[in-house]
Amino acid sequence: MWKFKRPRRGDVSTLTLRLWDFTGMALLNLFVWLAALVYLSPLTYMFITSVKTSEQLSDPSAPILPARPVMYEYEGRSRYVYYVPTESGERQWALVDSDRSGAFFVDPQNPEAGLIRWEGSWRTLRRVYEPHWEFGNFVTLWERIEYPRLLRNTLILVFLGEIGVLASSIAVAYGFSRFPIPGGKYLFLLLIATIMVPDSITLVPTFFIYANLLDWLRSFTNTSAIYYIPLLLPHFFGSAIYIFLLRQNFKAIPRDLDEAAMIDGASPLRILISIILPQAVPTVVTVGLLHFFNAWNEMRMASLFLGVSRERTIGFSAQAFQSYGFTPEFLQASALMLMIIPIIVLFLAQRFFMQDMVVTGIEK
Amino acid sequence: MKFSIPARSGADESDASVKRLSLSRYSARVGFLFILPWVIGFILLKAIPILAALVFSFTSFNMLHPENIRFVGLQNYLAILHDRDAGSSLFGSIGYFVLAVPIEMIAALGLAALFNSDWLRGKRLLRTLFFMPSIIPAMAIFFIISGLVSPGSGWINRLIIEPLDLPPPAGLYMLFPIIFALWTIGPGFLIMLGAMQSIPREIYEAARVDGAGPIMRFVSITIPMISPAIFFSLVINMITSFGGVALLDRGLPYSQSLSPMESYIAYQMFSFLNLGYASALAWVMFLVVMGITVAIFRSARYWVHFPEEDENVEI
Repeated sequence: MWKFKRPRRGDVSTLTLRLWDFTGMALLNLFVWLAALVYLSPLTYMFITSVKTSEQLSDPSAPILPARPVMYEYEGRSRYVYYVPTESGERQWALVDSDRSGAFFVDPQNPEAGLIRWEGSWRTLRRVYEPHWEFGNFVTLWERIEYPRLLRNTLILVFLGEIGVLASSIAVAYGFSRFPIPGGKYLFLLLIATIMVPDSITLVPTFFIYANLLDWLRSFTNTSAIYYIPLLLPHFFGSAIYIFLLRQNFKAIPRDLDEAAMIDGASPLRILISIILPQAVPTVVTVGLLHFFNAWNEMRMASLFLGVSRERTIGFSAQAFQSYGFTPEFLQASALMLMIIPIIVLFLAQRFFMQDMVVTGIEK
Repeated sequence: MKFSIPARSGADESDASVKRLSLSRYSARVGFLFILPWVIGFILLKAIPILAALVFSFTSFNMLHPENIRFVGLQNYLAILHDRDAGSSLFGSIGYFVLAVPIEMIAALGLAALFNSDWLRGKRLLRTLFFMPSIIPAMAIFFIISGLVSPGSGWINRLIIEPLDLPPPAGLYMLFPIIFALWTIGPGFLIMLGAMQSIPREIYEAARVDGAGPIMRFVSITIPMISPAIFFSLVINMITSFGGVALLDRGLPYSQSLSPMESYIAYQMFSFLNLGYASALAWVMFLVVMGITVAIFRSARYWVHFPEEDENVEI
């Protein structure tokens, strides 16, 4: 019977063993890299479609890669070049004129020869394409959706939320990790439990309250800034999952140093800032990044409250792109412009982010 | 958290114990001050809204005529029983949970197991690449998948079905939840991989000496050792599959949630401004999700091996 097993050392030569290991390694790498390729393959559709011209997209016989139709200038007008089957093989001729029974072409290689009459239905002919990447789509989109303005609004929102969520979550995590709060254990369990509470249950009352609050505020001011309140306010009370991650990390920091500082008369806030935080930088960065991604993608509150505001976020505007009647290339370009910044941030910060998710994941 | 318990026998009222008592009282107050933001947030943003939703659910509260509010008892809940859309969206939500969570868990666990091998090259880049789709905004994913599956010009049609002359598939739109689930494995994958890498090598060596093969080692060492991480990712994936936000927000508005029940609640709320009925629906969903959560936490004692905690180290 066959046994697919690495041979034992001693039974075979070292060379055989090495070959065996090399095959295993090659197969594993091939498999994982191929899996990554397949996993990310839908993204190629987005990249490729976003640099196509709308002309190519409306032609069903066009090639699948970005290209544009080959044109030929004849008698002051641009003409499409087609693959034309003739008795002497397939030719690439430019269409000049057509009638019921056929069409007139001109040979771009030999324009002096004049018009060539071809019998048949020219509509069945395929156009000639040349590779072309239409990066102009991004420029058009940049202006059409006021990208800089969306970007500015989103970044303001991310930045303010970041300050609120980090300050409050760090403080709360510090409180839970270092102080003998009576019933603290149960409060912390309550905090964990709130992570599981579905948003829908709080949606109805909170929407009602915010809607009334905004109505009331509108009677004083007409700025768009008030619509950001529902998107920002909750962050200033800390986020349960971030508090959980930070607390796990703070607890792992030895207490010797902060006890020594306490004896020297350092205040609790001082201990947090000069002793705990410097040792918790990776976790704080991780939480900051998580909030960046979440605030960038945030749609729930935005879709409820930014509808009447002029100052929208990029995520919220994207929702409307489909109804703007965007053609596929603009839709895909907008998808790319929507996701490119979080991805750049992920790649820049991956060293921090990846490591710390790993560390905090170990203990529940 | 260390409780410095002041002398328990009340007879011993020495100076030192009084000092320690007041110190611990002082630090309890400071600690409470630090957690105050969360406590206020909990009361204002969680406790009151949840209770308010419960109260609303017994009334005929409508946003258009807030003055006509009146108590209707269980009428909203009885209406849910006769509401076909409510039933099907609830089953849809549970269905997405049942479909997506196993896909996410198995894909993440399998990937983590492959990454745990010393033979794999370019791990850092690969890790980021596999994580990347988990932060892509949902809208972008919608645009991409719609482009792939659209009949006629969609790439699946042009690249797979037409060249192979296959019959037009019926369930192509099923790719939406599947790709969504597969593109959400990032956090779970990192958590499980981290746990796997912290397993001491000696345990594997010992098992190898005893003649355990790779599959045996995976099932009887890796899985039990990383069971807390599996549990943690299971909880995270569960929350996400019901439309909640745990660790990463995909940016789906309520009206387009992958969990149909959530969209249905938003629909009742914003199309009919029927806050009473929407609250009743939300409470039904809340109870279902809490039921599943409790079941998962209860089951943990049978399959999750939490590391032995030190006596002195409380939560």
